[in-house]
Amino acid sequence: MIEIENVTKRYGDQVALDGISFTVEKGEILGFLGPNGAGKSTAMNILTGYISTSEGNVRIDGIDMLKNPEAAKRKIGYLPEIPPLYLDMTVEEYLKFVHKIKKVKSDAIEPSMIRIMSLVKISDVRKRLIKNLSKGYKQRVGLAQALVGDPEVLILDEPTVGLDPKQIIEIRNLIQQIGKKHTIMLSSHILSEVSAICHRVIIINKGKIVASGTPEELSKKVNNSNKILLRVKGAKQDIYKKIREMEDVELVKDQGVHEPGTVDLLVEAKDDIDIRETLFLSLSRAGFVILMMKGKDIDLEEIFLEVTTTSNKGGIQ
Amino acid sequence: MLAVFLKEFRSYFTSAIGYIFIGTFLLITGIFFTMYNLLSSSPAYNGTLQSLIIIFLFIIPILTMKIMSEETKNKTDQLLFTSPLKISDIVLGKYFAALAIFTISLLITVLYPLILSKFGTVSVSEIFTGYIGIFLLGATLISLGLFVSSLTENQVTSAVISFSVLLFIFLMDNIQRALPSTRNSSIIFVLIVVVIFTLFVYFSTKNLIAALITLVVGLILTVSVYLLKKEAFDGLLQKVFDWFSLIKRYNLFSQGVLSLNSAVYYLSFIAAFVFLTIRMVDKRRWS
Repeated sequence: MIEIENVTKRYGDQVALDGISFTVEKGEILGFLGPNGAGKSTAMNILTGYISTSEGNVRIDGIDMLKNPEAAKRKIGYLPEIPPLYLDMTVEEYLKFVHKIKKVKSDAIEPSMIRIMSLVKISDVRKRLIKNLSKGYKQRVGLAQALVGDPEVLILDEPTVGLDPKQIIEIRNLIQQIGKKHTIMLSSHILSEVSAICHRVIIINKGKIVASGTPEELSKKVNNSNKILLRVKGAKQDIYKKIREMEDVELVKDQGVHEPGTVDLLVEAKDDIDIRETLFLSLSRAGFVILMMKGKDIDLEEIFLEVTTTSNKGGIQ
Repeated sequence: MLAVFLKEFRSYFTSAIGYIFIGTFLLITGIFFTMYNLLSSSPAYNGTLQSLIIIFLFIIPILTMKIMSEETKNKTDQLLFTSPLKISDIVLGKYFAALAIFTISLLITVLYPLILSKFGTVSVSEIFTGYIGIFLLGATLISLGLFVSSLTENQVTSAVISFSVLLFIFLMDNIQRALPSTRNSSIIFVLIVVVIFTLFVYFSTKNLIAALITLVVGLILTVSVYLLKKEAFDGLLQKVFDWFSLIKRYNLFSQGVLSLNSAVYYLSFIAAFVFLTIRMVDKRRWS
């Protein structure tokens, strides 16, 4: 549905995007992750035809954005980072205007407006001036604007930024609901959001794709199965000493005290050796009671940090 | 285009700009009308119309200052430029909205010659031509303001630059008289133009070879014209300034002459600046 081929964007000598390529399949929700200034918004602005590429091609449903921008733009609904709202208009006037510029037939405007306003829950503020709305409502009006004309592709740049937790959950549910019928690409720097909504994640840093895959695949790629979290009863020094004596242990890290009389530790084994058994046996033989032992879960946050900090060395693909 | 036109037209009245423009325009034309026509019992209405040009200097920048810059600043241009509208539709819609506000103000002033006609004879054809002239001049200056507004995202900067450009146009006839008309001064002027054009080519393409080619071609042309027809340089500065004088062309209309030449001149000027604005907006997307 969305094809990006070798897209580069330069601002003078500065490279904002450096030859990125990816595709988004129909019906997919793709998360676009990256630290601030990674090139997320630039990529989205290029995808929607707001700015052009320095090199490379963008195709929406097979239509080239450069050769036939009007037709390609008809297929896209875009919510930029700052919702493009005319503050002096009422919600109703604004949405009517958006319908007109998106060339929706005049007899279809009214039913479409009612449908969209009830979908994003802004029907109760339809007569109010946009400048008097709260940030959450403004964001929803922005989302409503993106939905006008029933576009096949929705590009959402940080759709939940600045919203309160309840609104964030509402918008996320809404995106999932819309995602059943549309292809969605959303950018975010909130990782839990991306792992909750998206089928697939692309992480970019300094204008380059440093990792991509489903949230689960990415977890596996940076799998640290040799890291084990332990809670052991006993004196800290003795436990440390005992564990360090073990051959296959690479590193022991203190994780603080969470229960009186116990210590929490993170034990890292050499290579991919499973040290759980030897750990259990040697500690119990020495009289230390293990209260908890579990493999350390890797969440998207760590993957993100890892790939964005190691991307200079080549990262992971 | 219609959607953008209507939105833009409405926005003049949801903000203060539409009211300020029409209000100031009518107030000052009212003062001129009272002074020149009513108090001095004169039916020469075209003189009143002509003095309106000075008001243009102040109110056209107000009308055009936000036309493009506000959208860039508020990022609402992201909505327009990612919609299936052509850039030309957007720019034209905005231009016509500003023109509509100006036309409305101008149409209200038609009341003045109507009032005059109750008390004496007025030359309908002369006043009609005068109105066509002032409409074309206003439309041209609005197109200039539109272009200036597309250069910046700051409304105040836009207004100040428009004001300076209009002031320059206003003073152009006076400046022209003060310029030297000798052959040498013309040659220096041509060389300066060639250098400016070369710099323009260099900064827009960043290509030294292209810039050098422009410079060399410019110099060859200048030298060959000099060798073939020296007298072409006599009073060249005056001719160039004369060609760009917007106000001088209006004077014909003011005298009741419906000059097709001048009308075409104004319309080409408008087309050129609307086109430049479209290119400017487009260029920003590429840079």
